Amino acid sequence: MTNPRVGIIGIGQSAFRARRDDASYPDLVREAVNLALADAQLELDDIEAIVYSLSPDAMVGIGNAERLGVDAVGARNKRFLRINTGGATGISSVAAAYYHIAAGACDVIMTAGADKVGECGDSQTVLNKIWDPTYERSLPLGTITMLAMSGIRYAHKYGMSEEDMAGVVVKNRRHASLNPNAHLSKQTTIEEVMTSRYISWPIKLFDCCPQSSGGGAIVLASEKYIKDRKLDAVWITGVGHCSESYYLGDRMGRGFMADHADAHALGESFKRAYKMAGITDPQKQVHVAELYAPFSNTEFHSIEAAGLSGLGQSVPELRAGRFNIGGEIPVNASGGTLCTNAIAVTAMIRLAEAALQVRGTAGGHQVKGARVGIASGNGGDHQFFGTMVVEA
Amino acid sequence: MELMTRNEAWNITYRHALGETASYFYTEIRDNKKIFGRRCATSGRVLVPPRAFSDQTLKPTTDWVEVGPGGVIEAFTMVYEDFQGLPPPPYAFGYVMLDGADTALGGFFRGVDLSNSAEAAKKLAVGTRVTTKFAEKRIGDVLDFWFEIAG
Amino acid sequence: MPLNRRIGVIGSAISVPAEPNGQSLEELLYELVQSALRDAHLTIDDIDGIIVAANDQYDGRAIAVMAASGSVGGVDRDILSTPSASDHAFVMGVLRVATGQYRTQLIVSWSPTEVHSIAEAQRLAADPYFHRRLPLDDMASFSLQASVLDSKVAGAEQIAADFNASRGSVGSHQAKRSLISDGMSSPPVTGAVALIVADADFIAEHGMKNIAWLKGMGWATETGFLGDRDLSTAPALEAARDQAYGEAGITDPRHAFNALEIADPTPYQSLIVLDVLGISKRADWEKDIAAGAFAPGGKLNFNPSGGARAANPVFCTGLRSIVEAANHVRGAASSQAEFALAHAASGFAMQYHGVFIFGTQN
Repeated sequence: MTNPRVGIIGIGQSAFRARRDDASYPDLVREAVNLALADAQLELDDIEAIVYSLSPDAMVGIGNAERLGVDAVGARNKRFLRINTGGATGISSVAAAYYHIAAGACDVIMTAGADKVGECGDSQTVLNKIWDPTYERSLPLGTITMLAMSGIRYAHKYGMSEEDMAGVVVKNRRHASLNPNAHLSKQTTIEEVMTSRYISWPIKLFDCCPQSSGGGAIVLASEKYIKDRKLDAVWITGVGHCSESYYLGDRMGRGFMADHADAHALGESFKRAYKMAGITDPQKQVHVAELYAPFSNTEFHSIEAAGLSGLGQSVPELRAGRFNIGGEIPVNASGGTLCTNAIAVTAMIRLAEAALQVRGTAGGHQVKGARVGIASGNGGDHQFFGTMVVEA
Repeated sequence: MELMTRNEAWNITYRHALGETASYFYTEIRDNKKIFGRRCATSGRVLVPPRAFSDQTLKPTTDWVEVGPGGVIEAFTMVYEDFQGLPPPPYAFGYVMLDGADTALGGFFRGVDLSNSAEAAKKLAVGTRVTTKFAEKRIGDVLDFWFEIAG
Repeated sequence: MPLNRRIGVIGSAISVPAEPNGQSLEELLYELVQSALRDAHLTIDDIDGIIVAANDQYDGRAIAVMAASGSVGGVDRDILSTPSASDHAFVMGVLRVATGQYRTQLIVSWSPTEVHSIAEAQRLAADPYFHRRLPLDDMASFSLQASVLDSKVAGAEQIAADFNASRGSVGSHQAKRSLISDGMSSPPVTGAVALIVADADFIAEHGMKNIAWLKGMGWATETGFLGDRDLSTAPALEAARDQAYGEAGITDPRHAFNALEIADPTPYQSLIVLDVLGISKRADWEKDIAAGAFAPGGKLNFNPSGGARAANPVFCTGLRSIVEAANHVRGAASSQAEFALAHAASGFAMQYHGVFIFGTQN
């Protein structure tokens, strides 16, 4: 049986900034909703159901903060639920919205959310509490230290220098300088990255994503709805998710399923999405990629998990410019998560940016001729992975 | 106009049940300075820290295996930034596969000068042999022990 | 709109230990899921995807669902989570199977009692802009709802007391909120629920019997602020009801169901729900109570499981009601057409509603 097709008909995103004291949390959600509705040329009343995109409650400081967002997304008396897969939440929310339509439950649905990470006193303090209280939480783990250790294992396995990591930052900042919605959009140099202070070795300040505030929203519709109204749409042709063990220490040692150096389940997730989309050779068939990589080193294993490079090959290929705008397969043409991270919607923005690229409306950071795009999100302790393929 | 902000803090306390498996592990650390893992009979792997079941085979683990005190570094990092609620920097921590174990156990690394990070990173490189040291006063926690470079 | 696939509940497990047994959360979830798989005569390899639901503040984990990856069999599998409500996990699981891209889904929710005060955890759900300074927890919101109902329906306080008494005594727990007298509610307990759904082809291929077929499903949310609502009514429940009844073809709800599993944090909430669902209208409450319609074994077969009034695993009560209603149908003689209704509510003064109808016939 062929899968019913689902298309993206509206995209909205904030201009992301460090703080937005002019807007409450629900105000930020509404900002993105209004942008997506304007893009789709729809009114709130046209939306049949809502998937709310929100990662840890503690990050916005409101328990079940989706309840407060009900009015911001116009969900009163409508079908409404919230998705949370940590950092992958944004793309998992789009997947959940996709399933509503593919299941036949409705014809037009919106997913939306926002984050104000800048209002959270210290996101690493909150993020330490993601680990289990029995074994791993007593350690000073946070997402930075967790992914620093991934980088150390990656460097040990394949070779990656701190200058190689800096190369990712320089590329993404250059891309972000073309994107008015990016939070960190000032260009930088290898030297500037290398002289920034260590946070968690080998990750330096400039290797880290910022804590961003802003919202995102996407409107999806069934093929029938799109054709009946003769709308332009970007089609979601592949959807995949996959998870790894909760325990970091189980991704090391002997006989493990996943190596913490790599992004095993991200790779499995991409395989599922590619299979559904009929992509057999991603290096040839994918034109643009928005891959969730909050720290410079994690872009390498994400590129490899997406099948855009062989294992350990992305480092020299990035150095050679293969993933630049103008290169063979631009990666994170928007500047990516490294330049903007409003956690609850970050992975949604990855998909939104891939969709804008294949729609040909990405603006200053448009990749010429992009027709097939991919996006990913990583959540939990490098544990939940969501991926999608979009096509014009 | 004046844009107002408000400070809020969450102060909720929890009493988490650790279960039989973790309770045995911590009791042995506290009372006998011994580290135990659980073997998964299906895969033969020894899980450290011990789990009641293997999340790869989804079978209950079957027997206790004493591991360490020696082991090899599987991952490390050195932290130079101050985070609210976490220890004052600098400090090094990471994961060690103890002798007899198949998975890695998290803990602090001590006895390495962290002032020159490049030099310290060479000393803590993946694959380096370490040994486990125990605190004088132990309460049954992963902070009751740490790792030092084997000398 | 009808879903693209017919879907049935093929296995389940409920764990509500009478006393804390010292198990860790991961151990509890592992045993629960293994039990649900045995009930369905399946192994984890038959499970295509997993949906989980838990609450960060109850669990004391910043992303509570992370505990699920290993314990529920999620390693190398596909997990989504709906922390908004336990019944939303069921909705999501059903939708995924209905796409035809999955044949089975495992759905799991849990609610520990390791937090010092559940009420304190609930108060964090009051927004910091207008409501955080108020002592607003779930029970306070139920009391506020009771006060509005009492102002709209003459004698509501007595009706609620009579309703509660007619269900038999289950203890004398004190909610310590106005209008909610002792024995109308029960204290939070640890609980966890798992169930497995599959599509009709999978069920036929495996020769499975004793299926609870999902006949109708509706879910909706009320607006966010209590001050914007008439708490004696439930317009979101009306929307959810219309979806579910429309799909299941229910036109005479009072006589349609052989069993009801309805949210009962206090009697006031159950009465509002019974009214909106058209099972016992406001005008009929006193008559139905007097006739013993809500008593154990009574005409309406109201909450044969005992509901949250007997044992209250706060966050997963909705999913438990779904399993209890499905189990009623699974236990029915297969020759007779039977329907059971599950209603789930959560949030302040029942912000979220879900209505789920199960039948013996595909």
